[in-house]
Amino acid sequence: MLGQYATTLTFIALGAIFAYSFYAVLIAGQLSLGQAGFASLAAFSGAYLAPSGADVGDVPALLIAVAIGMSVGALAAVVLGLPTMHLRGVFLAIATLGFAEAVRVVLLNQEWTGGAQGLGVPRVLTVGMAWLALGLVAYWFWRMGRSRYGRALEAIREDELAARAMGIDVGRHRLAAFVTAGAVAGLYGVLYAYYVRLIAPDDFDFTAAVEGLVTAVVGGSTMFLGPVLGSGFLTAVPEIQRAVGVEAGWIRPFLAGLLLLVVILFLPGGLASLIRRRTRMPADAAAEAAGERAGRSHPPAGDTVVALAGLGKEYGGVHAVRGVDLEIRAGEVVGLIGPNGAGKTTLVNMISGLVPPSSGSATVLGAEIGRTPVHRIAAAGVSRTFQHSKLFNRLSALENVLVGAHLVSRPTFLRRLLWLPSARRDESAALRQAARCLERVGLAELAASRAEALSYGDQRRLEIARALASDPSLLILDEPAAGMNHVEARRLSELITSLAQDGLTILFIEHNVGMVLRTCTRVVVLNFGEVIASGAPAEIASDPAVVEAYLGSADEDPAGGSIAEGTLDDPTSAERADATPDAPPDPVVDVRPGAAGDLAPPDSTPRDAT
Amino acid sequence: MRTKLCTVAAASAAALLLASCGSGDSGGGDTSASGGGLTGEGSGESCTIEGEVPIGAVLSLTGAAASYGESQQRGLELAAAELAGNDGVTYDLTIEDDQTDPRQAITLFDEFVNDGASLIIGPTLSNAAVQADPIAQEAGVPVLGISNTAAGVTEIGDYIFRDSLTEQAVIPQTIAAATEEFGLQDVVVMYSNDDAFTESGYEAFAAALEDEGVEISETITFSKSDTDFRALLTQAQESDPDAIVVSALIEAAVPLVTQARELGIDVPIIGGNGFNNPRLMADAGEAAEGVVVGAAWNSTSDNPENQAFLEAYEAEYDARPDQFAAQAYTGLKLVDQAVRANCSAERDSIQQALGEIEDVPTVLGEFSIDENRDADHPAVVQVVENGTFTVLE
Repeated sequence: MLGQYATTLTFIALGAIFAYSFYAVLIAGQLSLGQAGFASLAAFSGAYLAPSGADVGDVPALLIAVAIGMSVGALAAVVLGLPTMHLRGVFLAIATLGFAEAVRVVLLNQEWTGGAQGLGVPRVLTVGMAWLALGLVAYWFWRMGRSRYGRALEAIREDELAARAMGIDVGRHRLAAFVTAGAVAGLYGVLYAYYVRLIAPDDFDFTAAVEGLVTAVVGGSTMFLGPVLGSGFLTAVPEIQRAVGVEAGWIRPFLAGLLLLVVILFLPGGLASLIRRRTRMPADAAAEAAGERAGRSHPPAGDTVVALAGLGKEYGGVHAVRGVDLEIRAGEVVGLIGPNGAGKTTLVNMISGLVPPSSGSATVLGAEIGRTPVHRIAAAGVSRTFQHSKLFNRLSALENVLVGAHLVSRPTFLRRLLWLPSARRDESAALRQAARCLERVGLAELAASRAEALSYGDQRRLEIARALASDPSLLILDEPAAGMNHVEARRLSELITSLAQDGLTILFIEHNVGMVLRTCTRVVVLNFGEVIASGAPAEIASDPAVVEAYLGSADEDPAGGSIAEGTLDDPTSAERADATPDAPPDPVVDVRPGAAGDLAPPDSTPRDAT
Repeated sequence: MRTKLCTVAAASAAALLLASCGSGDSGGGDTSASGGGLTGEGSGESCTIEGEVPIGAVLSLTGAAASYGESQQRGLELAAAELAGNDGVTYDLTIEDDQTDPRQAITLFDEFVNDGASLIIGPTLSNAAVQADPIAQEAGVPVLGISNTAAGVTEIGDYIFRDSLTEQAVIPQTIAAATEEFGLQDVVVMYSNDDAFTESGYEAFAAALEDEGVEISETITFSKSDTDFRALLTQAQESDPDAIVVSALIEAAVPLVTQARELGIDVPIIGGNGFNNPRLMADAGEAAEGVVVGAAWNSTSDNPENQAFLEAYEAEYDARPDQFAAQAYTGLKLVDQAVRANCSAERDSIQQALGEIEDVPTVLGEFSIDENRDADHPAVVQVVENGTFTVLE
């Protein structure tokens, strides 16, 4: 019974393994077509270099060839990855495609590959071996899924900038994903060679690369079973057509294409989206919470956390921020206010390392700003939210917060592969940490919802929970109350106060001046990129310069100032909404708590504007 | 939305189920059929076999090699229609498409073997033959290649036959005839090095030229997808050769010949099997005049089989056949010959009878299968004159 379908089953397994090499990078949001090149290099070098089956036995020969092929594939991925890892989207696709084509042409012109006539290889692979290999590869990606490494890759796919801000070393993770793709593609190349008996460079051409990509996408690139489903589907289509008696010829590829179109239209997430994704919530999050708060030790109250000296940022001659001297000490709650375009977001982008300053110097928790990559600054203890939510949209709320806990959890992937109990402990510790953070912002019931399905206010709170998960020493909130109603804003204010009591230092930008005055220990006012006042809330409220700055702006078009904040080159796409008159020139002294926040316009900027 | 998804899922599940049932049934049915009435009584024309003789054909009907596959399909169907008019033996010819994909060719061979085919015809490309033929060899199912010209295909085993002359058989005759006719001393060789067929053609040319003592002043390679050869031809022109020898598929041959004549290259152009296609005259027109083509099939041969074939083909398809059609047509006729010889469509019986085919009059001329299971029949060297192939005497 099974023997009759052995060939088809083998090709399903082989197709799925090749699709996994695309899945490996798609899951990190990389579109690469270089896998055909890796497979080709691996197949030829494996088949050429491995000893003959007559000397060592067929299966050992195959295993040696697999080892050679996977090493060659991974090595090629490193060589190709180092110069191309900074490329994104279609540019990476084109660069890697160029590599695959170069490999094809080089192999075609080599003597030892047999050129266009190909290289003969004995058939060793059986259907059992193919499925065993597929099982191992699928196991690898299954165990990766719920590990810290797997979540980091998904976070990079969903929002690279936010992933960086959560302390994920994006470059290293992307390269690791790419090398995995290279090794898996290498495995495919060798297995394919040892099944079809003859390999020619044209077996790994552009069409093959596209086929692998289509298989991965049709199957679904966000769930580890996707490639198997995709390969099963695509391999079965010609079989089904033969079985139901569709006449051979052009009509078959046409129908297959049509079917593919239908699947993509109705299942944009691939066939794997038919499988529901479970989110596990630790049952006893609160119960065990008390015991294990090891966490980060915050600098003692009064220590300097942020020290800015003459910090400035210039965008093409426009000074978004100039000459800011500011010191924030541990335990402070600093409110940063100022009219639209005053440079508030640019300033916090510099403090969190997203934007390098053009002049001056800054030290944040011991890290020098401008030379330190974002993830290092995050590792130093800085965590932030964004003016426009930058959540990992297709992940659940709980997973978002788990990514936030990246820095305070231990790598678990390799231990998960071996089912070590310590990995399980670490994972549940991270889960409890995440659950606590969700509870703290009041989102525990929505843990399983996708981030994109949450209401606007909940998304803002989820961002705060995610920022809290890394147990930061300095928490930067960029307009956290925007879009919240009075009750929510008041609860947020209480949350900030309680966080400060835990020893966190908090810097937050807010238009809801009442909330700022109520919550902060110190208020800093920016106008036209410069600090015009800094002091206790009561002092600021009566500072004539501040009143003037707010009232004075009523005469001008508020949109006029937006360029000063550098909309041109702002990685958080922040100030777009600031250009709209969202903060009326209320007299600062007499503001009704919560009023200004209510006037914020609904967020219409595309989330993924960067 | 959710209900929709469920519907799609259910539909695909049902389709899969149907598929497995379908192929399961046909597999069982055919195997039992082949168990029964495949051996008949009588011999030759009087042979009568009760059951239908299942013949599988694996052709590249879509994909890169589709143009050859289509010609082969026409040739096979024409032959099948004619055989259906004969009494005694009926053939159940199943033509399948391998999409020019070795994985499909392997799968199809596997299916034909499992479904009890008495013999498999094909596949179209030599690469696919090397990959798929071992499956039939291991299962003891005879294979008749109708277009595999690469060396080594029949070495796969004693169940693998072909009626297509190898490049190694045709090209030496071409070079010998051309050397004699034009007094060649030095030539430029051009070939596409990314195609198995043209590359092995090149190797045969190089060996034959060496045997004839003709010097190769330059070897120029190009890609099978190239269409602009002007720079390469100018390069070839510089060494002032007595002839240009080209191993290319018809897609490259037409622009190459046309552009050579445009550039004022009027030395003979000598082509391999890929040139043996009516499209050469149809598409290159005047420029094709004087092109020398070695071929396995003499399209102008006046032997009665060929004349009948030409007439029938043009009546059926309103087009002139090419060598692929002729070899496919011949292939099925040879299978009929082998089945009737022992009056049995059992696999081993066909294998034995195919190996004994000798001096059978066919479209390709007097045809024999040699001891290596390769085709043995006269090749022909043709030259294009007045828009048609004529034999180079």
